[in-house]
Amino acid sequence: MIRPIAAILSRNLMKLRRDRMKLFLNLFMSGLFLFIFSFVIKSTVPGLDHPMNYLISGIIIMTVFQSALSNSMNILEDISSGFMKEILVAPINRWQIAIGHVLSAMVVSVIQGLIIVVIGLFMGLNIDFLHGLAMVGLMFLVGLTFSALGLYLATLTKESSNFQLLITIVSFPLTFLSGAYIPTMALPGILQPFVYLNPLTYTTAAFRFVALHMENMPVSDLVKAGVAFNVHGFIITPPLSLLLIMIMCILFFVLCVNRFNKADFSRVKIFKHSH
Amino acid sequence: MKTNSIEVKNFTKNFGDFTAVNNISFNVEQGTIFAFLGPNGAGKSTTINTLCTIQEKTDGELWINGHDVSLQKDKVRRDIGIVFQESTLDGKLTVEENLKLHCAFYKVPKSEVMERIDFVLDLVDIKNRRRSTVDSLSGGMKRRAEIARGLVHFPKVLFLDEPTTGLDPQTRANVWDYIHKLQKQKNITIFLTTHYMDEAEICDQVAIIDGGKIVAHDTPANLKKRYTVTTMKIKTSDPDRLEVYLQERSIKYSVDRQQFLIYATGTRDVVAIASTFKETIEDIEINKGTLNDVFIAITGKEIRE
Repeated sequence: MIRPIAAILSRNLMKLRRDRMKLFLNLFMSGLFLFIFSFVIKSTVPGLDHPMNYLISGIIIMTVFQSALSNSMNILEDISSGFMKEILVAPINRWQIAIGHVLSAMVVSVIQGLIIVVIGLFMGLNIDFLHGLAMVGLMFLVGLTFSALGLYLATLTKESSNFQLLITIVSFPLTFLSGAYIPTMALPGILQPFVYLNPLTYTTAAFRFVALHMENMPVSDLVKAGVAFNVHGFIITPPLSLLLIMIMCILFFVLCVNRFNKADFSRVKIFKHSH
Repeated sequence: MKTNSIEVKNFTKNFGDFTAVNNISFNVEQGTIFAFLGPNGAGKSTTINTLCTIQEKTDGELWINGHDVSLQKDKVRRDIGIVFQESTLDGKLTVEENLKLHCAFYKVPKSEVMERIDFVLDLVDIKNRRRSTVDSLSGGMKRRAEIARGLVHFPKVLFLDEPTTGLDPQTRANVWDYIHKLQKQKNITIFLTTHYMDEAEICDQVAIIDGGKIVAHDTPANLKKRYTVTTMKIKTSDPDRLEVYLQERSIKYSVDRQQFLIYATGTRDVVAIASTFKETIEDIEINKGTLNDVFIAITGKEIRE
């Protein structure tokens, strides 16, 4: 039962190792944001105690998010190259295929996140072992959540190239409205409802709460720091954010495996290769 | 006792209003090569896809080695190997990695994996390219790698969907050598689709499919016997005697100057005419019917390439 899943996982990781350009490009974006926003954040948010830690933790979790989403989309490549057919006629279950793909996207996203952690350590990020462990745990959770979402979305599509562009276009504003790069407090009031509806907001908040050792802060300070939210008097604390992520994770995972079981991949357009 | 590897009864497949396959039935005996011959869009790939469990039937019964194709997918999948029309190898991986992956999917015992990979790569003669990425191989080699992969789990039934389309004649001949070698060594059943007449010619059984229906199904020899005539072109110094001979036996012919075109019904006619007029025949040309003629006779059209 485990062998096919492990085989898909190791195959996807092997492919990524060969395609270093992809890995690099993903990290390049994160690095670029780190660089640009490190200038911006100091001037725009004067009240922040540790602006760099604040920024780095946001970028780490956004890297995990982006990478999970885009790596689970790699399955579209399998569909258009025809390799998906080979998997579909093999005596393995659809859910095994789905889990294999979700796990690979998750592992890759966590690895990319860890690379940003290491870069962050050089830039002044300060973590101890326990917090580090909690951060990695959260990264796995976030990676799993959005890998499942990505795979779910990928199975809905029939045309691969436009879809990937669409995902990029949608995920970009979401990351900006999540507080990862620009603190949510600094955003204009009319955008606040979008901030609260954005699942990434809670992802960022929970991760930042851990990364910045905020467990002893009073709730009012947490709200001020943008890791807890006061929605018309109802306070969404970081533990509540964590719960929200867990619910999303289960939801997306079930959706994705379910959808994968039913999807008719034989009708997806396959580009013919000359033999 | 003869057993059937594939049994299809009243199989129908609709796509919306369109009927791709219309109530077809056939059996394939174990250890034989069976060809589905027909033009593009005749329903060949739909039948293969349904037998391979990637499409659901609309109606009918399909069995492979006694397993119901719709209800016992896993058992069917374990028993079959498939080489699709389009490449389904992972181009970024090496040949060996593709095969190993396949072994993991088909639960080939780990201790046997390397041995089997050696065996199949040897069979299709690409052992020296095992560590090359698939993308770097030529079309013919990719095809061979594909066939090797379809065999590495030792399937009992091998499906080949247009296995040689797009290959040059030399490579096509090689691929056929492998197919025959394989059938002999492993006694597996081979089900293939093709639109090459010469390929169908060397199969044990041929079913001609057109517009979703099987219009003829027999051995290539029987099909030709039934649907084609042998033509003789004879130039003779004694045309009058030949004309009388043909008229007496009511054998159809046409004549243009001294050149006769005779539509013989069988080998016996041909031999009789040739021996009777051996003294006066100046030139002779005998054309046996081909499967192409069979196809034209049955469907009224030429098969497209």
